[in-house]
Amino acid sequence: MSTIHSHSSAETNYLTHSRGFLSWALTLDHKRIGVMYLVSVLLSFFFGGLFALVVRTQLIFPGMDLLTRDQYNQVFTLHGAIMVFLVIIPSVPAALGNFILPIMLGAKDVAFPRLNLMSYYLWLFGAAFFLLALFMGGIDTGWTFYTPYSTDADKGSQFAGVIPALTGVFILGFSSIFTGMNFIVTIHRMRPPGMTWFRMPLFLWATYATAVIQVLATPVLAITLGLLAMERAFGIGIFNPALGGDPVLYQHFFWFYSHPAVYIMILPAMGIISELISVHSHKHIFGYKFIAFSSIAIAIFGFLVWGHHMFTSGQSELITVIFSAITFSVSIPSAIKVFNWLATLYKGSISLNTPMLYALSFMIIFSIGGLTGLHLGTLATDIHLHDTYFVVAHFHYVMMGSALLAMIGGLHHWWPKITGKMYNETLGRIGAIGVFIGFNLTFFPQFIMGSHGMPRRYHDYSGVGWLPEMTQLYAPYHFWSSVGSYVMALAFFLTAGYLIHSIFRGRPAPANPWGGRSLEWQCSSPPPHNNFDEAPTVGDCYDYSVLEWDEAQQGYRWRPDVPRPGAGGANPYKH
Amino acid sequence: MNVLTVMLNAGASLAAASSGALTLGSSGGASFWMPERASTVSADVDWVFNLITWVSIFFFVLILVLTVYFAVKYRRTEGRGAEPSPSHHTPLELTWTIIPLIIVIIIFYMGMKGYIDLRTSPANAYEINVTAKRWDWTFQHSNGCTQYDELFVPLGRPVVLKMMSDDVLHSLYIPAFRVKQDVVPGRITTLWFEATRPGIYNLFCAEYCGTEHSQMVAVVHVLPEEEFQARLQHCAQWINLVPEESLHLAGARLFSQCVSCHSLDGSRGIGPSFRETHELWGKEREFADGSRRIVDENYILDSLNNPGGEIVKGYANQMSSFRTMDDKRKRALAEFIKRLDEFELDANGRLIVPPLPTPQTPEGGQ
Repeated sequence: MSTIHSHSSAETNYLTHSRGFLSWALTLDHKRIGVMYLVSVLLSFFFGGLFALVVRTQLIFPGMDLLTRDQYNQVFTLHGAIMVFLVIIPSVPAALGNFILPIMLGAKDVAFPRLNLMSYYLWLFGAAFFLLALFMGGIDTGWTFYTPYSTDADKGSQFAGVIPALTGVFILGFSSIFTGMNFIVTIHRMRPPGMTWFRMPLFLWATYATAVIQVLATPVLAITLGLLAMERAFGIGIFNPALGGDPVLYQHFFWFYSHPAVYIMILPAMGIISELISVHSHKHIFGYKFIAFSSIAIAIFGFLVWGHHMFTSGQSELITVIFSAITFSVSIPSAIKVFNWLATLYKGSISLNTPMLYALSFMIIFSIGGLTGLHLGTLATDIHLHDTYFVVAHFHYVMMGSALLAMIGGLHHWWPKITGKMYNETLGRIGAIGVFIGFNLTFFPQFIMGSHGMPRRYHDYSGVGWLPEMTQLYAPYHFWSSVGSYVMALAFFLTAGYLIHSIFRGRPAPANPWGGRSLEWQCSSPPPHNNFDEAPTVGDCYDYSVLEWDEAQQGYRWRPDVPRPGAGGANPYKH
Repeated sequence: MNVLTVMLNAGASLAAASSGALTLGSSGGASFWMPERASTVSADVDWVFNLITWVSIFFFVLILVLTVYFAVKYRRTEGRGAEPSPSHHTPLELTWTIIPLIIVIIIFYMGMKGYIDLRTSPANAYEINVTAKRWDWTFQHSNGCTQYDELFVPLGRPVVLKMMSDDVLHSLYIPAFRVKQDVVPGRITTLWFEATRPGIYNLFCAEYCGTEHSQMVAVVHVLPEEEFQARLQHCAQWINLVPEESLHLAGARLFSQCVSCHSLDGSRGIGPSFRETHELWGKEREFADGSRRIVDENYILDSLNNPGGEIVKGYANQMSSFRTMDDKRKRALAEFIKRLDEFELDANGRLIVPPLPTPQTPEGGQ
């Protein structure tokens, strides 16, 4: 094993396997496609983040006129649409998942490499339509495109970017469906000998559950947005009451996708956290089956709760009560995961590395995000809290603080594997703590102003009709929230800085810097072009007792005194 | 508001918040989490909110303390690996499945009970018709009193709002009453409350509705029954008492319905500035379709009745019809625009509304 490092670095890896622009643009290698996704998603995150900073700056004081009202409405729409459709949904499955999933599974690639490349180009194409929407006059409908505002150009949005943006989301939907299909088939058909379902790392269970949602829910969004575009272009009368349609029907259609989409975002994040907590605690994950099945349970229940976005919409009272009841069922599998992660920490040997700091941040932030979901699932309180900053804070705790920070944690965890370089650990820890502080300073005040009634999507909280005491009530919370967003931005710039620096100046990464046991830690960093030359055999991917620290490599290696599973000819790492 | 004031306020509010946290659940006024309570359901909603919050705080502190304690106590040090401990324990895992399940069933039940109260209006409730249109609220009482962005409600009597929208989705939200209901074009939605504290409260539009969404804000006046009746009567009849020569002053009072789209200082809004219309009085105005028309009283009346009929060049068709407004009010607005040069604006560009010449006694009637 000690020879592997020098052995593999002598040969080519996936980065050096072939050269030139076309070797990337036309690649069928899941790792390169994953890297292209990663770069694209992080670039989109940069722009979505800039828009967020502009929004927070407009709101830092009452009566600010950094933006006109229309500009503000366009900026928050773009922030939401970019972050949801271009960043969070593809971030873990398409970017990290593409890179990690086949290696973790022990496969050479995904089941359909060409489809995989096509998914990426569909993503690019969809993103191009977002740009087109900007140049055609912008959109101000919010990322939810609620009717009849979005369909009626006279009485609603005057901006001509609505149809291009809808087209963009439609195309991005297909990108997401193809990625999901690819992962489902890959996990069903390409597991090597010994990789039974219950030996799969939990990240794969989570990605699998996510892929099922992507395939089943996204077509509904495509149909809905297709109808919406036709209504706006031709006035066919599905959603607009002036044409005999029903705007609440649109909300049902939209949330039938967009609620499960929340789980497309959070499930893979939970999968990452299961890996991070176990690996960096150097201890077997606690309650493997409960965590695995809770992912499946969330995927199933997630389809049945869309109506909880519509408690005040005018849907019937009976259906409202039923949706509230089912909504609480989703909280149980989430609670199980958190307690199982806690039990994994217990008596572990916890390395407080950067990825682990993100995982611990996740535990705390997700607890707040999940528990405040109780306030919103409960009918009597949701009526008051709906469409206020309480909801904004809640979904940022879940979508940003949990889903996106788990992705950033995963990025740090797999960074040595992807780039073959180590980043500066001290700066990494400072960045993680800065993000944690900035995040909470930004969003915790939003809970308080929200429960005091501050409505969301407001350009200002003063003006005609505003009681001065209401303006004064909300002002300090807005102020601290904006300050928090600047702290977070600084921490993210620091993070981007040391990560980019590491690509050029970083110390070469060992095969297994953290002591992970799943298969991706057994091939070199970065992995060779084919991942595995022979089908690998698999043991318990959470049993760390077989590993030991190797000072020379600055990484972990297989203990010489422990035989490998299926030792002999089947060992893929012995040439 | 400058930076310093906001920061001082921030400090004061944090201090207030920390003392408020200790008195969570105190009656009447605002708490750390909730604004003041002014309706019969507020206390019940706050009770459920506080229950969930305390349950959340318990679990959050549990998770936080254990996470930090484990991360410190079991941190990796030289020569210390993970201690052997079971990797699953079914009874334990069932425990932390079943206990949260029981808790959420209780929370669901409390929430459902509160919701049924919120949705079941008493039979004898006082009805007010509400029309939401971008970006104003119109409240119509049965005696003919119509108010814009201002709602009078009686203290201690149930009120039902019957709500319709002229254009897109809106949502009527009064934080102090803990009530909210979307206003959906094409249907009538209802909402009820019973105010318990006299005072003035903000009413927000909570469903995003476009440019001036953040200004679709109204004021709710909770009035003791006698005062409520007097104000209602005055509201229905004051316009009838205005002599013809003072109609422009009445128009200035009605201008509050126009202010979100039409400026007085010539600046461009959703619609053309009234300053511009005033300057064109007696002259021709050009419309989007190329036609022209003299600006006079009839032009103003037509614009109120059928705003889409003649769109001023350079603007979009965004205004809803004021067809149901009575004729005297329409004439008052026309007169106001015609004599706009007699009015002054304050430092913030807002109209200074002069008092009506003959002192009105609200109880006066006709």
